[in-house]
Formats: sequence, C-alpha cells, structure tokens
Amino acid sequence: MKVREIAYSRSGDKGDISNVCVFAYDAINWPILRDSLTVDLVRAQFKDLVRGSITRYDLPKMWGMNFVMESALGGGVSMTLRADPQGRAFATLMLEIDLGAAPPEGSHAGPSEVCR
Amino acid sequence: MSKVVTIGGGLAGGPDKLGPGIAVANSGRVSWMGLDCLSERSLALGQVRRNADPTQGHWERIPEFLDGYGQFLMTGGRVVTNFGVANVEAAREAVIAGARKRGFDGLVFGFVHGDNVLDMAIKRDLELPEMGGRCSDYGDQVISANAYIGAEPIVHLLEQGANLVVGGRIADPSLFVAPICFELDCGLDDWSKVGNATVAGHILECGTMATGANYSDPPYRIVRNQVEFGAPLAEVSESEVIFTKLEGTGGLVDSGVAKSQLYYEVHDPSAYLTPDVTADFSDLSVEEIAEDRVRVTGGTGRERPLSLKVLVGLDLGWKSVGEISFGGSGCLDRMREAKELIQARLEPFQSEINEITFGAHGYDVLFGRPLTLNEPTEVRFRVAARCATRECATAVADEVFQLHWGPVASGGAISNIVPAIGVTQAFLPRRDVKLETEIIKI
Repeated sequence: MKVREIAYSRSGDKGDISNVCVFAYDAINWPILRDSLTVDLVRAQFKDLVRGSITRYDLPKMWGMNFVMESALGGGVSMTLRADPQGRAFATLMLEIDLGAAPPEGSHAGPSEVCR
Repeated sequence: MSKVVTIGGGLAGGPDKLGPGIAVANSGRVSWMGLDCLSERSLALGQVRRNADPTQGHWERIPEFLDGYGQFLMTGGRVVTNFGVANVEAAREAVIAGARKRGFDGLVFGFVHGDNVLDMAIKRDLELPEMGGRCSDYGDQVISANAYIGAEPIVHLLEQGANLVVGGRIADPSLFVAPICFELDCGLDDWSKVGNATVAGHILECGTMATGANYSDPPYRIVRNQVEFGAPLAEVSESEVIFTKLEGTGGLVDSGVAKSQLYYEVHDPSAYLTPDVTADFSDLSVEEIAEDRVRVTGGTGRERPLSLKVLVGLDLGWKSVGEISFGGSGCLDRMREAKELIQARLEPFQSEINEITFGAHGYDVLFGRPLTLNEPTEVRFRVAARCATRECATAVADEVFQLHWGPVASGGAISNIVPAIGVTQAFLPRRDVKLETEIIKI
C-alpha cells in the first residue's frame, strides 16, 4: 500500500531546507502512518536528493507528521540547478512510498470515500 | 464575546492574481487586507533592478493595486503590504503620485524604512551558515542584505492612522499580525495572542493556497472550480482563527486544506520563528464548522527570537538551462550519447562552470532517478549549469542547440540564460537594526 492510499501531503521550502507534511485522511489510518512511515523509509525514498538530516515531528491531533529535510534542495531555491527548485514534487514523492501493508479492515482509504 | 478582527489575504506573491483579493476587499466582509508580494529571492532581484535604475526595485504593479484597492481604502479599509521590495522610497513616490492622480484625498500612508542592512552585513563580515563561509568570502558578489521586519513598526504606523502601510522585507505573517494585534489591542509581548495571530497570518500569507490551490489530486482530492479560486479571509479573536472564502468563489476550505497550509514551510511545529514570536503550532486543532469554513484553535507562542534573520543576496554569475527532446525506442541511449557529446564539447569551459547537471524530463529530473523500470516513450534532455561568465553560459546553451545535428531525430531545442542570484541567510541582533517609520497625508 502506498502512502497515497491513506494520506495527503504538501511540501514547502525555506533556503536549502524542505519540509513535507503528511496527514492521514482518517483517524483509523493515523496509527498505520505513524508506525510505518519512518525516517528510514523517507531517507530510502529521497536518496541523494537529501544530503542532510531528516527530522520527523508528529502531529497526533492532525493525524499527521512533518518531515524536515536539510540540505535537500540542491543549495536552496535561488541557487539550485534542479528543474523543481522549491521541491514542490517532494510532496508526491512522499506519497509514492510503499508502506508494505494492506489497508486495514474498515479503513476509509481510497478515492470513493474521500472525494467530496 | 471577545472582539473579532476581519482580514483577508490578497496575494501569495508579486506575480499572483489581484482579482480574488480585490473581491474580498470589496465584499464588505473585512476591515483589513494583507498583501504579501515577496519570495526569498525578491529582495535580491529588486536590488539588481535598483542598481540598474535608482527609480526601480519596488513592485511594478502599484498602479494596478491602486485601481483595484481604491474603493476599499476610500471607504475605511486598511491595507498592509511589503510591495516596497528593495526600494521603499520609489514605492512611496508611486503610491503618493498615483493616489493624488486618482483623487484619494484624506488618506494616510505609512512607510517602513531601514531593512536594507547591506553596509552592516559587509562591515561586520556576517557569517553565512548555509554557505559555510562569511560575507568577505564573496567580496563584491554580496549584492543585498535585508533584515526581516516584524509587526512593531507597522503597529506604530497604524496608531497614527495609516490607511496603507508599505515596507520592504516585512515578514509574511507580520503583515497580518500587526493589524490583528493593533485592533485586538493586545501587546506585542503577549506571546500567546501573538502566536494565535501568527496562525492567521500563516494561513493568509499564501493567498489561495488556503482555499484549495496546490491541493487537487484526483481522484483522491477533488477541488471545485479551480478556474477562479476565492482568496481567503479570516475572523480572528484572541484565541481562535476562523477562515473561509466568499460564497460562489472557486476552491475549497476544509480541514485537509487547513492542515496542509498550517504546516507549509514550518519546521519544528513548536517553534515557528518569526520576527514577532516563537510561535507554537504543535497543539493546534482544526474543525469544519460549516461549508468552506474552518476553525483553528490552540495557536500560542513564546518570546520572540533575539536575532533577526537577514536575507543576503549573492551574485553567482549566470545560470544557463537548455533542453531538447528524444523519442521512441532507444531514446535513453541517444540521450546518453548526447550527454557525452556535450561534456566533451564543453571541456574548454570547465574552469568557468561552477556546477552542471544533466537529467531528462519524463524520466529522472524531479526525483534524481526514475520511479519505474519501464523505458519512457520520450524524454526531454535537460542541461543546467551555473557559470562564472556570460560567455560560458552562452556556450552551454549553444551546445544544446548543436544537438540538433547530434544523435538522430532530436528536436525542439530551447535555452534560457539568466543572472544567477543566490539568496542565503544571516543573523543580526535585533537592537542593531534601526527601522524608521514615515507618515504622509494627502
């Protein structure tokens, strides 16, 4: 199961630091996200894009977390040669991570329940 | 019931659409508007324009602003903005002349001066932590230095009746924190209330990102009528923020949009640093209280940072980007051959190329690697280089064009050469940054 099945995200930039916040759509999926979306998984997904530390801040009331990645934007939005200077697409790279678990029974994962 | 301040966020940056904010201003729903015209690079780019022409370096759309916001200002609405960018004096001339021309008699204008700290940055040889060096390592490549401005000077101008406050590097949330705290009559050292006001400022500073922009992801997240997003407006009391958009406008305000925007560009949620406060967003709650209407509670804060962040602009030469397409079976092999050709042909320029990257749109440009094993049906080869000289940048662009005669069936070469203006951070003790305010009545 990819993160995208149960969560959404937004990425932001300040200097050479990228933050990607990720939130479960539903409370039932927050424990899965909390327990499985580890810093190690995120580092394995972002590989050489991120040269510095990755810190995770949990936001349990939001059913989400904030990943702060240093030296992550090729020198920062004004200096980087990357095609996506702000790392906007980092939000989607986060959602591509495979959590290696099936959606839980009774989960509201998937498009039919979250569309409005 | 405690007092409520009504305030809208009209822009997410200098090039953003003015219409949605003007609609909020003229809706009768808000007393205040904040307009954020800056990104991290704006001050350095503005300084480059100012160096070329001393009458430039401010936001270029002030006439458009005066046309759009005239009615709001003339009927008691008040606006705080950082559209002075790198030349508050020139913005002042444009505002005063434009207001007189339009007959905006009786308005009071406030200006914040003094965020330009270039001389001090050079004299004190400020450390540039992200660069691993100091200003002196860059000599005359240091082209600008601007300290972030907080709510204090803005409140001072509002107390004197300013209808419009204009500054340079006013911090994004401070554009909103100042009017909120002024109208709630809460001290700027009432950290909890300033923290709550900062929640409002953080939501409003990015304009339509609070109303569904940067959110749609079908089929998971559907946002209605993105053709014309409504701008956000907030109702702020001492301990809560309710935000919404005008009825009938496009976009979406729900808890998902709220959460996404609340933590956008935030690092440690318990210590979001602004010139005004160490805001604490770690225990927020969001609640959908009606359609397109969300309440945020729990915003608080602690004492403001002792240092002010300074954005230092560096002239890093020239940036050159060139692209050309390859398609069909073997397109990756032909692209790799093109890369080897470019590298060999640019060999004479090696000493002038500070950094060069190669990638392919549709393959590895965004993530540094492909996410699937399938060969793409087409790729767009991309070469990007930062060069010490314009000649070198031109050579990079030219070599991409020369690939027109390179591996078979390459097409659609384009290139772009721009000055490479870098922005990095430094810090100054708050007491050393001497801001001044000015009031002009017409």
